[in-house]
Amino acid sequence: MTLIQKLQNIVTEKFASDDIYVRHAYSRNVHPDLQGVPEYVVRPKDAKEISEILKVANEENIPVIPRGGGDCEWGGSIATGDVGIILDMKRMDNIMNLDEENLICTVEAGISWGKLNEYLSRFGLYTGCMGPGSGLTASIGGGISHHSVGAGGCAKYGACTNQLVSLEVVLPTGEIIETGSQANKFSKFPFNRFGNGPDLAGLFCGDNGIYGVKTKVSLQVFPKPPFANYKTFLCPRNSAEVAAQIFTEIRQKGIDVYDAMYIDEILIKLGTNTFGMYPMFEHLKRKRGIVFYVVEANSEQELEEKIKQLDNILLSNKAEELGSEIADGNFAKWHYTEGQWQTYHNCWGIIPTFENITTECFTPIKSFPKILKDIEVWDIENEENMKKIEEIAGFRPISGTGVVPLVDGNNVELTCGFTTFGCYHDGEYHEIIKDINLKLWKSFLTLVLKHGVQFYMMGSIPSRLMVEIGAYTSEYYNLMKSIKKTLDPHMILSRGKFNFWEDD
Amino acid sequence: MSKIENLKKQWEAIMSCMGCGDCGFAIRPAVGRYLVCPVKEAKGEEGFEIWFARGRMNVLKSILEGKLELSKDLAEFAYQCSECGSCTDTCHETHNPYIILNTSKWIDHVEVWHALRQDLIKAGFAPLDRHAKLIEYMNNPDMRNPYGEPKEKKFEWLNDVKGVSKTGDLAFYAGCTEPLRQKETLLNLAKIFNAAGKEFAVIEDEWCCGSISIRIGDIEAVKPNIEHNIEQIKKTGAKKVFVACAGCYRTLKKDWPEIFGQDLPFEVVNVTEVLLDLINNESLKIPEKDTEVIKVAYHDPCHLGRHMDFYEPPREVIAKIPNTEMIELRRNRNNAWCCGAGGGVKSQFPELALDIAKDRIDEAVESGIDILLTECPFCVGNLADSVKKENTNMKVLDIIDYIATKI
Amino acid sequence: MSEVYQKLKKIVSEKFVSNDLYMRHAYSRNVDPVLQGIPEYVVRPKDAKEISEILKIVNEENIPVIPRGAGCCEFGGSKPIGDGGIVLDMKRMENIINLDEENLIITVEAGISWSKLNEYLSQFGLYTGCMGPGSGLTASVGGGISHHSVGGGGCAKYGACTNQLVSLEIVLPTGEIIETGSQANKYSKFPFNRFGNGPDLASLFCGDNGIFGVKTKVSLQVFPRPDFANYKTFLLPRKSVEASVNIFTEIRKKGVDVYDAIYIMDLLVSVGCQYGLFPLWDNLKRKRGVFFYVIEANSEVELEEKTKQLDNILLTNKAEELGPEIADGNFAKWHYTEQGHWLFAHNLWGVVPGFEPLDAECHTPINSYPAILKDLDQWDQEHSEEMNMILEIAGFRPITGSGPIILIDGNNVEFTCGFTSFASYIDGKYYDIIRETNIKLWKSILERVTKWGVQWYMMGEIMSRLMIEIGAYSEEYYNFLKSIKKTLDPNLILSRGKFNF
Repeated sequence: MTLIQKLQNIVTEKFASDDIYVRHAYSRNVHPDLQGVPEYVVRPKDAKEISEILKVANEENIPVIPRGGGDCEWGGSIATGDVGIILDMKRMDNIMNLDEENLICTVEAGISWGKLNEYLSRFGLYTGCMGPGSGLTASIGGGISHHSVGAGGCAKYGACTNQLVSLEVVLPTGEIIETGSQANKFSKFPFNRFGNGPDLAGLFCGDNGIYGVKTKVSLQVFPKPPFANYKTFLCPRNSAEVAAQIFTEIRQKGIDVYDAMYIDEILIKLGTNTFGMYPMFEHLKRKRGIVFYVVEANSEQELEEKIKQLDNILLSNKAEELGSEIADGNFAKWHYTEGQWQTYHNCWGIIPTFENITTECFTPIKSFPKILKDIEVWDIENEENMKKIEEIAGFRPISGTGVVPLVDGNNVELTCGFTTFGCYHDGEYHEIIKDINLKLWKSFLTLVLKHGVQFYMMGSIPSRLMVEIGAYTSEYYNLMKSIKKTLDPHMILSRGKFNFWEDD
Repeated sequence: MSKIENLKKQWEAIMSCMGCGDCGFAIRPAVGRYLVCPVKEAKGEEGFEIWFARGRMNVLKSILEGKLELSKDLAEFAYQCSECGSCTDTCHETHNPYIILNTSKWIDHVEVWHALRQDLIKAGFAPLDRHAKLIEYMNNPDMRNPYGEPKEKKFEWLNDVKGVSKTGDLAFYAGCTEPLRQKETLLNLAKIFNAAGKEFAVIEDEWCCGSISIRIGDIEAVKPNIEHNIEQIKKTGAKKVFVACAGCYRTLKKDWPEIFGQDLPFEVVNVTEVLLDLINNESLKIPEKDTEVIKVAYHDPCHLGRHMDFYEPPREVIAKIPNTEMIELRRNRNNAWCCGAGGGVKSQFPELALDIAKDRIDEAVESGIDILLTECPFCVGNLADSVKKENTNMKVLDIIDYIATKI
Repeated sequence: MSEVYQKLKKIVSEKFVSNDLYMRHAYSRNVDPVLQGIPEYVVRPKDAKEISEILKIVNEENIPVIPRGAGCCEFGGSKPIGDGGIVLDMKRMENIINLDEENLIITVEAGISWSKLNEYLSQFGLYTGCMGPGSGLTASVGGGISHHSVGGGGCAKYGACTNQLVSLEIVLPTGEIIETGSQANKYSKFPFNRFGNGPDLASLFCGDNGIFGVKTKVSLQVFPRPDFANYKTFLLPRKSVEASVNIFTEIRKKGVDVYDAIYIMDLLVSVGCQYGLFPLWDNLKRKRGVFFYVIEANSEVELEEKTKQLDNILLTNKAEELGPEIADGNFAKWHYTEQGHWLFAHNLWGVVPGFEPLDAECHTPINSYPAILKDLDQWDQEHSEEMNMILEIAGFRPITGSGPIILIDGNNVEFTCGFTSFASYIDGKYYDIIRETNIKLWKSILERVTKWGVQWYMMGEIMSRLMIEIGAYSEEYYNFLKSIKKTLDPNLILSRGKFNF
């Protein structure tokens, strides 16, 4: 029997394909250069099918790459090399149960944050942390695989894995397990993550898909408070430092802000003056950095009180409040009421084929202005390569950062990088752009990594780079690897990430 | 390697697609958006990414980069798309004027699919069998319509109406579908005009506007039709031509000038704009004859709505009809769900068209309306085919037919 | 002295290792009357490096090692299973290594107690949020992390103490030392985040009951202690169990960020008053269940507003507010202001001499505990014979019920149920029969509660093994757990016997 027949025997003919066009449809993520054309694409319907697929893959020694929304910016849900089976998890996008009494929602892992939250909103609930910035498409399973943050709520609720209650996981060798309260098989429904022995769910949190395939996720959900306010402020000069100061004071005063974010000066300037992204800021005389916050409350008075506390911090740092409407520049209002899953898309396609090559990381609040300064230096150091790109694409890359949100604890999510272009321009594929992109990208990641930041979405590029530049201690890497080998002796799952290869 | 001239011209759009996937999955209650791609949803669990915009863009990137070729197999995928434009509307659109996602400026998916279809035609992998027939009929001198009907049959409806002439300021371009398949609507149109005491001119020897051929990607086949029709319209002396078909509307107003290479010597308007004028200047009075309030909703045809940004006149007309309560469907205007007929889907993949329509019919039934109104004979046809299969009393009507019941 | 002793001495120096018989017996018990295991050696290491060397030696010699924080486990978790092995007394490692005031992160040695740490933090207006387990005056931070501890206050707001974990330094069973979270990137200068740099490997050691590694350094997120707090205690109406469920559930459904919310069942109130534990409630005419809450805020107005929201819930559930002072019955005030949170679980100890609860501490959904309590009544009756036998010897029939029920993470409570029993030594005599009955009844009640689908967190010797014996883990899950154990600890050195490894 051929492999495609074996796969079709498991999922039926309709749900496994080796069609060349179908395979190419799955050959990319959110990135212009990284590609990997899989040999097969399968749309499994449940954990049992995935278990059987993994058993076949182990027999045949063929890698398997789980793919949620396909929104990784580092090639996390495409094949590393033109090999393997893509597991398209998007068929598994059902809501299995909403436990209204215990505020726990159990879903299939392929469901998007947008779809889940639309459902929850009918009950006055939400997920708290709204997942990653790409949550309209990105899946819950993918969020859990990366500790995703960014779409909103992460100042209050932290990374989405904080809300995890229970996981159903298919191990690389095909066994199906459930974690947390479900490790006790007498438990009728998921209610708690922490117990029944070690927190084994944690192994799959942030694993970038190397330890198991998430099939079912139970998340704590929350009543969406009936009151909220959102304000946007123009920072004084040195706005990055001011923003860091504001964030720190918010934490030190312990105000449970829902979101607090900073938009860097360079983004406001170019975005408004040059690229027409922010009509809301056009009226600003001085285009400086912007800080905005969202705060929620259970009553109007509680809300007012929290606003007072926050405004106090903002105003004492000489931030200047913009008007209350989106048209007045109130980015916060747009973010909370409409735009939470689009805030990051701003930087894509500013001019045609324009693309950011970035690193998304967590870093202590006060460290980010220093990193930004260092990036400016890096940009100048790479002038020659930048010019080469300009010659072909007609635009010199810009280095900087996207929106900087306050996340878990006293950290920010820093999405910094440089703008570049895809290789294909005007009828021609420019190999040189690809080379420069990859070279600059690795150089940039190394620069940021050496600031001691923490990556969470690592895909194939950062996960391997960390190993290559020796950022892990050998003890730590060996632990990660020994667990990998125990769970996945043939290195079937997401082969290549973290440089875990078949012959290791 | 086959030529991909048209796709190459779309390289900026294709390469600007970042692959976020919102064109397949977006649900944004904040702006009334509930899912995006009718084909993907109709494919349901079999919805490999090739069935919606992101996967298709990935394939086109590979084609541009020379890693993949056009083929007949690709044509089978490419023509299973109603070109409803919902993906474009979702792609990096904030739907707020104060914040712009720039990608939306460079990517028009329908234009990209169109380029692909043109290249498939040029390479000989398309048209598919049924589409080939339509084009053949359209260019048959004895037919000049895609339905394969004798040329004369298209003008039979005129035998039953009065108040039309061969010349005048206002001409009516009847198209093919209503004269040949939904004649009643045209009779009702004449009835309304009669009631308003208004005349219009009809076009002698009117040929198919070419919409279907353009959607299929055969531009060459349609050039003689455009030239002929422009000449015939000129003969009426009309400054304004109105159409009662969303496909014709887009084709005349947008495609003709582009393919013809210059502005048309007349203005093209939609029948609802004409009706609205007649109601506003009080020449058309719709009496309040029954007391029962009828609940209606308006289904935005893609060729009027997303393709032409034409949303309000039909609603304004409906608002003026007595004893009529207008309810907006959950997905309306630019978020409207496609009926499934467009882009050549109904003719080549009728089951797919019906699967898509079912989604829209279910939505309409859920809203509790009595009549689903629209302003496109393809939507009327496909939605009516679908509603027959459902256990509901809800009807699907053209706005023209609904007004006629009130007169 | 044996060769092993010599080797240990070489690592930690003579002062910090002992195989003295009295010393060994001093480390032979935890907080329960039944379980005992006498180690062969007791070692007090000073750092991860020493522990690493110890672990390397024991792997060569095949001697089990049992890390011991404060020894407050109620299930025999920090003493040997059977006699023998080395107890690692972590209490020498109790220093505060660094307080990062800017990022509100504290790094401590794992042996420090929750109370010592919080005393230090209070000098800066900070606290740990979740105040650890109910035995936090003694219990160590490392032990808390090993069990997802809750119960010592603040867990309605902050959840289990592992929620606050930022980074861990661990000595693996084979001696390698790793640091987790942000510290996995060796360019990181100080710990700042748990989640990233690949899989959350810290989680392996959270709740591991000491089987996967020895925690040596813990970085925790700490929090500004809010300037304002309120605390109220209420007498519940009849059917107080059900009323308490409704109140807990409504608090969560309304999303009020209560700091603590705790229910004390009527049996406990009435028996407690009878035995003179609760003079603050002597004046209550009706000894029904009691409910109390603590709420914090950053301003007086905010506090008033939150108090209003909570009182609303309590009053609509017909709870009756007691006076504001401790003397008026305001248990909450004692709990929050006098750090009663680290004492109130001790209430049930020694009600009469030798008296001791054998209990089950678990997490369970809020709405599940009334049914479990009813089933425990049933269980009690089913075991009347054994209960009477204990009565004959000890002069007191065991009582079955629950200690304070504490709202924790999510919509769960910490449910400490069990039965009161006696130690085997009574009045000059050691009763084997009491010991046997205790173990038999204990396992029986643990099994009964397990079958309600609860979740155990502090599992120690007895619970971790019982889970396997009664088949509560699926085969796949247990194999998965075991395969990781064997990967990390091929000779099954660490906490040998737990989970039947």
